[in-house]
This record gives sequence, C-alpha cells and structure tokens, in this order.
Amino acid sequence: MENKDILIMKSISKSFPGVKALDDVNLNVERGEVHFIVGENGAGKSTLMKVLSGIYHAGTYNGDIIFDNEIKHFHGINDSVNCGIVIINQELALFPNMTVYENIFVGHEVRKNGSIIDWDQTKKQAKKYLKMVGLDIDIYELAGSLSVGKQQLIEIAKALSHNVRLLILDEPTAALNEDDSANLLRLLIELKKDGITSIMISHKLKEVEAIADSLTVLRDGKTIIRMNRSEINEQEIIRNMVGREIEDIFPKRPKFMGGEVVLETVHLNAFDKEKNRYIVNDVNIKVRKGEVVGISGLMGAGRTEIALTIFGNPLNYKTSGSTIVFGKVVNLNSPKAAIDHGIAYVSEDRKRTGLILTETISQNVTISALQRISKHGVLKFIEQAILAEKYVKDLDIRTPSILQIVKNLSGGNQQKVQVAKWLCVEPKILILDEPTRGIDVGAKYEIYTIINELIAKGMSIIIISSELPEILGMCDRIYVIAEGNQTAEFNIEDATPEKIMEKATI
Amino acid sequence: MKKINPILRYFYTLISMFRSNIRDYGMYIALVVIIIIFTILTNGVFLGPINFTNLLNQTAYVAVLAVGMTLVIVTRQIDLSVGFLGAYLGAYVVVAVENRDQRVWLAIVSALIITIVVGAIKGFAIAKIKVPSFVVTLAGMFIFKGLLMIETSNRTIPTSNEFFNKVGIGYLNTIKIGNVDILTLSMGLLLILVVVIGSLRSRKKKKSLGIPNERIEIFATKIVAMSAVIFFLSYSLATYKGVSYLLLITIVVVAIYYFITTQTVLGRRIYAVGGNPEAAELSGISVEKIIIFVFISMGILALISGVMYASRMQNTSPNHGPFWELYAIAAAYIGGTSANGGFGKIVNAVIGSIVIMSLKNGMALAGVDANIEPIVLGSVLLLAVVFDIYTRNVRGIDMVGIHYANIIYKKQLKDTLFEYKKTKTELELARKESRNNLLEYEYKFTNVSGELSRIKETIRASKEDDYQSLIK
Repeated sequence: MENKDILIMKSISKSFPGVKALDDVNLNVERGEVHFIVGENGAGKSTLMKVLSGIYHAGTYNGDIIFDNEIKHFHGINDSVNCGIVIINQELALFPNMTVYENIFVGHEVRKNGSIIDWDQTKKQAKKYLKMVGLDIDIYELAGSLSVGKQQLIEIAKALSHNVRLLILDEPTAALNEDDSANLLRLLIELKKDGITSIMISHKLKEVEAIADSLTVLRDGKTIIRMNRSEINEQEIIRNMVGREIEDIFPKRPKFMGGEVVLETVHLNAFDKEKNRYIVNDVNIKVRKGEVVGISGLMGAGRTEIALTIFGNPLNYKTSGSTIVFGKVVNLNSPKAAIDHGIAYVSEDRKRTGLILTETISQNVTISALQRISKHGVLKFIEQAILAEKYVKDLDIRTPSILQIVKNLSGGNQQKVQVAKWLCVEPKILILDEPTRGIDVGAKYEIYTIINELIAKGMSIIIISSELPEILGMCDRIYVIAEGNQTAEFNIEDATPEKIMEKATI
Repeated sequence: MKKINPILRYFYTLISMFRSNIRDYGMYIALVVIIIIFTILTNGVFLGPINFTNLLNQTAYVAVLAVGMTLVIVTRQIDLSVGFLGAYLGAYVVVAVENRDQRVWLAIVSALIITIVVGAIKGFAIAKIKVPSFVVTLAGMFIFKGLLMIETSNRTIPTSNEFFNKVGIGYLNTIKIGNVDILTLSMGLLLILVVVIGSLRSRKKKKSLGIPNERIEIFATKIVAMSAVIFFLSYSLATYKGVSYLLLITIVVVAIYYFITTQTVLGRRIYAVGGNPEAAELSGISVEKIIIFVFISMGILALISGVMYASRMQNTSPNHGPFWELYAIAAAYIGGTSANGGFGKIVNAVIGSIVIMSLKNGMALAGVDANIEPIVLGSVLLLAVVFDIYTRNVRGIDMVGIHYANIIYKKQLKDTLFEYKKTKTELELARKESRNNLLEYEYKFTNVSGELSRIKETIRASKEDDYQSLIK
C-alpha cells in the first residue's frame, strides 16, 4: 500500500497503579531502517516495547498498533512473533545448560511428521543462522559457556529463525565491551540489507549517532520528538531527553593535590578454582586520600575481581599478596573485615548483589550499620529511621517515604540507596563498580556530584567502569587491566581514550 | 459538594483498608469462617471453654515448630527432620528420666546439647558445604526415625514424673471467684493494656518521624477488635481451668521470637539473608552464621515441641513424629510465609497452626469421617497459597475518594458509556459490511474505549484527599 512505515504505534497510553507509564505515545518506524528509542530511565521505553510485543495484552492499553498496514491485537508474545516481531530483552533468555542449536530452536523446534524433532535439520539450520549473524562457533557448545557478546548474537540468530521482520533490541550493548558492541552494530546494518527493520533502545548516544536512521525521544511517558538521520546530534538528543541543557556531563572539582596513601595492594593475586586460572595477576595499586582512582578495562578483564579480592574475598578465591590499609598490612578475609577497615564496595549489579529488593529503603540503607544503631543486639528504630531519613535527604533519593520497598524505585534511585547503604558505615575508601550502569543522564550527573562531595570530605574513591568517558571525566589516576594483569597506569593529564583502549586490549 | 455521611465514611474506610491489605487479613478471615462453621456444626461446643482450651493445647506443639520453620523458610531453606527430631528428643528426655532415673533438668540440658550439635551440623552442611537443605534434612528425618525407635526400644513408655504431668496436663494455679479464674482474666487484661499502650506509643513515634500512620478510625477499630479477641480468649480460658503450661510455654516462645524478628539486629539479618543472600554477604553479614543459627534455633524448638507432645500424651512412643514437620511447614505457608524467602511473620505462622488444628479438632468434634480430614486440610493449604499469590499485587483503593469521584464524574461517565456503545455497534456494522474506511471506525472505537477506561481509572484511583478542597 501507500504507506512506507512498517510500524505505526498510535496514541498508546498505558497506566499502572498510580503511574501513567505511557501517555499518548506515537512511534513511526519506516521499513528497513534502524530506529532508536532513547530516553531517561522510567521514560517508558521498555513499557512501549512490551506493549508492542504483546507482553501487555491488547486491551490493557489504549491506542493502536498498526503493523504492515493492519491493526494488530496481540494477546501474548506468540502473536507478535508470528507476525515477525521479535524482542530481545536486556536480560537474555537463553538456557545456559543447553547447546547453541537447541537454544536457537527451543519453543519452535523443527519437526518431522508431528511431534518428533528433526535434529539433522535443526543443526543444519542453526549453522545457517549462525553464519548469518557472523558467529563462528561450534553449535554443540553450551550457551552458558559463551561470552555475553556471543550470547547476544545467538539471541539474534534465534530471532532470525522466527523469520523476523522487526527486531527489537532492549539495551543490547549495555553489557558488551566496545569490540562486541561494534560487532553487533555492524550486524544490524547488515540485516538492514536483508530487509529486517530494527528498533533499538540504548543509553549510549555515541552508537545512536553512529548508526541510527531515525530516532524517537521519550520523556515521562510522552513522545518528545522524532528525529531523522540528518537531524541527529548528541547535544540535541540529550537536551530533548532531559528537557534541559547539560553543558558538562561531569561536574568539576578542584585538582587533586596529593595525599597520604590509604590503600595499597602489593603483588595481589587471586586464583579462581572453578575457572582454573588467575583472575587477578600481580596487581599493585595505590589509592591516596582524596583521590579518585579509575580501574578501566574490558568487561571480564578482572576489574570486579580485583575489587572483590580487596573487599574481603566473598567468592573465596585463593589469594596471595598483601593489602595495606592506612600503612598497616591487614588480613581482609571477609566483607565484614573489609568494612571494619573502612572499605566499602558498591556492587555492579545492584539488583542481584547490591540490594534486598523486597525490603524497605530504611532497611537497605542501614543493613551494614545495624550494629551501630542497636544496643545489646536490640535495634533502635528511631535512630534507624533518622539515619535513613538523613541519607534520603542528602542523596536526594526520590521516594514518598523511607518505608517504600526498594523494588518500586527507579534505577537511579536504587543506585543512590546502594551508595547510601555504604555511606552509612562511614567508609574511608569507597569502591564504586559501574556506578552509573543502566541509569539515566540526570541521575548520572547526580551520582557524579555525590562522588565529588565525598572527595571534598576527604574520602578516597575507586571507580570501576566500562565507559571511557566516565573514567576520563571523573578520575585523577587510571589503572588499566587486561586479562587480570595490570597493563598500564596513567595520570589523567596523559590519558586518552586511544591509549587506554590500546592497553586494555593487549 | 456535600460531605459524606460519617457512618458511611467509617465503613467505606474500613472496607478500603480490608481491600487494600487483603493479603494480611485473609488468614484471619479464614480462621473466623472456620470457627463460625464449626461452632454451628457442633451447636456451640467448638467454641465452648472446654474445647477451646483443648484446641489451644493441641495446637501448642505445632505452633512452636511453625515458629522455627518460618525462619527456616524465610532464609530459603526447609527442614524436614524436625518431626522425628522432636519426637526423638522427647523420647530421649522421657527415657532418661523414667528408665535411667536422671534428673529432669539434666535430661533436658543433655537433649539441648544434642539438638544444638545436630542443628550446627545441619547448618554447616547446608551453608558451608552447600548441600541442599532438602537433602540434608531428609537424611536427618530417616536418621532420627531410627534413633527414635532405638531410644524407645519400639515400645510405648508412659511418663510418671511430676514434671511431665505439669507440662502436659497441668494448669497455672487459679484463684476462682464464682466460676471465673481471676488470674487468667487479669493476665488477659494486662495483655490488652500492653497492646493499647504499645500501639499508641508506636503511633506517636511514627508521627514524630513523619512516617505516615493509618487513619485514626482504623487504628481505633483494630485496637478494639484486638482487645475484644484477647478478652474473649482469656475469659473463655478463665471459665474452665485457666492457662495451661503448654499454652504458657507457647506464648513465651512466640514472644521471644516475635521480639527477635522485629526488634533485633539478628532478626533483621535473617530477613536480609532471605531476601537476597548475595547482597547480604556483600553487606558484611555472614550468611553461613545466620543459616547455622536458624537451624540451631529450629532444633531447640523441636526439643521444646517434642517434650510438650510427649508430656501431653503422657508417654513416648515410636509412633510419634510423622507429619509434625509437614504441619509446621503448612502452618508457615498458610501464614503467608514466602517460599522465595525474605518474607514471613511469626505471629501469622501461629495463626496458621491454629487454622490447621481447628480443622482437625473441629472435624473430629463434628463427627466428620476422619479420612476426609487430610483432604480438607490439603485443600485449605492450597487455597491459602493461591490466595496469597493472587493478592500479592492488590492495589489500594480509597472508597471515600471513589464516592466523591463518582458524584463528580457521573455525567461524564454516562455520556462516554453511551458514546462507547454507539461506536461499538457502528464498528460491528462496518465490519459486517466490510466498508473501505473500516480503519476510521477502528480508530474512533479505540479512542472512545480509551477515554472510557481513563475515566474509570480516574474514579478508581481517587483519594479522599483529592477532594478535600471541594468538600464543604
């Protein structure tokens, strides 16, 4: 027909108890383009995609989905998949203990006469799809043994096996390193040639600039603007996302003038018995009072493992070498010991290892400091509430009450709760592992501001991050890690993205 | 706008609270229904002082186990061994006293040491070696069944010591005036006083911290209801024999565990470990220690439970033990404890055990075929958990707000509803004739139905506060 749009979502509104998640949202995606949806966390991007893929059934939202010039009513994800709309979620839905080819065809197995699986055909087709996504691996490998980047590609292969026409990717590159990301983006452009339209949700504006044919900005559940290729630029997108100008993403702080060494590791090693290799190999880092030290490196290079080894070794690696805190060699054999020595660790995965999602803010904030607000083991609730209230105010955690369940907060606010939890124990050295992963631009700025305030108070901070701009924008000194080895150390004046990448990919 | 009738307002508020917190109150409602049914079926005997006292005494050993089991389940574990462990420990104490002529306190202390060691071993295997608790405690179940049979030499051994008489069938001293035991009654009144003062203080505390409190009328209703129940309970007990030692021990156990879970660092840590063990570990909490503690505490409660049971039966027998742990697990689940960990209340588990025992006791009393009883019990357990899952995400409503919104949006709602029906018939007509501009009709219909659900949603989500300025 006359319409060149493959997908029109018209006046979509969807409410949840107490929140209007989507308010009259319009989305137009042209045939054969790569369309981006950008917006801060909680802007409604994921909700919109769930409406589109039928996870929210027709009838639970208002508005129309017109796919290929037909109004569609999806009553579940099978309906949308049958139309060729496939969504790949942020959390990958692979079965780690099944092989690659089983994973690709699980749920729509290739059959011969009725219900018997045709394994030969399955394997043949699996190979074909793997080739299409440019993945050169053995189809007999277990999905769980592959890197996140490869798993992502298997998800896409799975989508292709569904005869996908519209591929939706929800923050596919969030967990990928630069190489894998570039690879994935290249693949999307390849697929475009095969007539596959993609919608991508992303927080990484650089990649938006690089490959988007068009984009839609959402804010507070509303469509703000649709931009075409020619209009796209980073500043403009940010302005529309946050509704205000951010001249500088990184707040300024006075230059670091040097101070006493508060933390030092000497020939630190950690051996992982399960992986049967050294994941931390002879690492010597120093952190001074009032300094922000960055640990940069690719995903899986061993950055988190260094942090965990310092922070009491909760995963029970076999370690050697020593850690010196405030001039004394200390034995940090449990997180508790590390906390007692003034070290705190804000985990990279706040949902899995950082917060107790089913508990209140008050409970989460004070969980590591319970000893301090109790007498003979009996909690003093007033002090707990006062303490929680203080940090909610200090860090500007947006919530109706400190008794709010943490699960119900946005990503940025959850992250602040995690930071508050550690400020509660009044640490001297704070390790932040991916402090801004998956949170929006506005909240990022707030986290950076908090970092600067803590530095001004004389704390020392280690930032572990996959985002080079963050490392370059926030740190005074940078260590680069590759495959568990410490490959370089830069002062901020000497560091450039290229130099760091070079050392990280040794 | 006219102000709402205060009596209507009160009931609206009360119903709103029930609707919004149905998950918490469901079990109480179930218990009340069960009690009413059996009271009718037995012509009032069920709720009479004699049977009521009897019911509570029957419940005691399950309630004590359920308290410990709640903590076990909260930390995402299970303990299948406590039935036979309890029976074995009961047998151990009885045999030590009756056959080996040991002093009672010595027998109990030895049993305590045994159970602490057993608990530590279970906890260690589960937390440190990471053997699934199901397997560890299943093994324990077999082992303790064997030990029980060895300890009793496969014979029923009657108790004769004064201690067992007192614990099992004894009552606190009574000072009767007429037919009523003053001691029990005053204990009840004291409890009411504690409840009232405690609630008032916590309300004041919350207010001073700026944490939202429930409405005053709901607060008052709750206090009155609670006082009435406590008064009825104590009066009912007072007109028979007063408070039994079994009940007293149960109350003390529940009080201690209530205190631990709500007021202490240890309690908060147990819930933290249940909610997210990895995060708890990284917060400086030793997950291993917590789990070992939970299993030791479970063991100690199994000891108490076993001694209570043997004392009440006035004997120890190789037939004791089966199903105890399952009753305790069922009680915890009926009490709303979450199998995913991190959520579960001590008091609710006790109510859960009363529900179970009411069913058993009530059906026996009403002369229902004994074979039917487990079927009913199983169905109730399933229903309770289904109900719990079903009501997990219930939205709060404010019926007073809805009342006002209904008045304001009445006309709008009527008009839109009319429009909705009109476009619907038009659309159906258009579909039948498959007109060219079908899409237009579809749009029109979507828009109207959107508008309709918007109005309905506005009314549903209305809060009384929204209309404060409009109410004269």
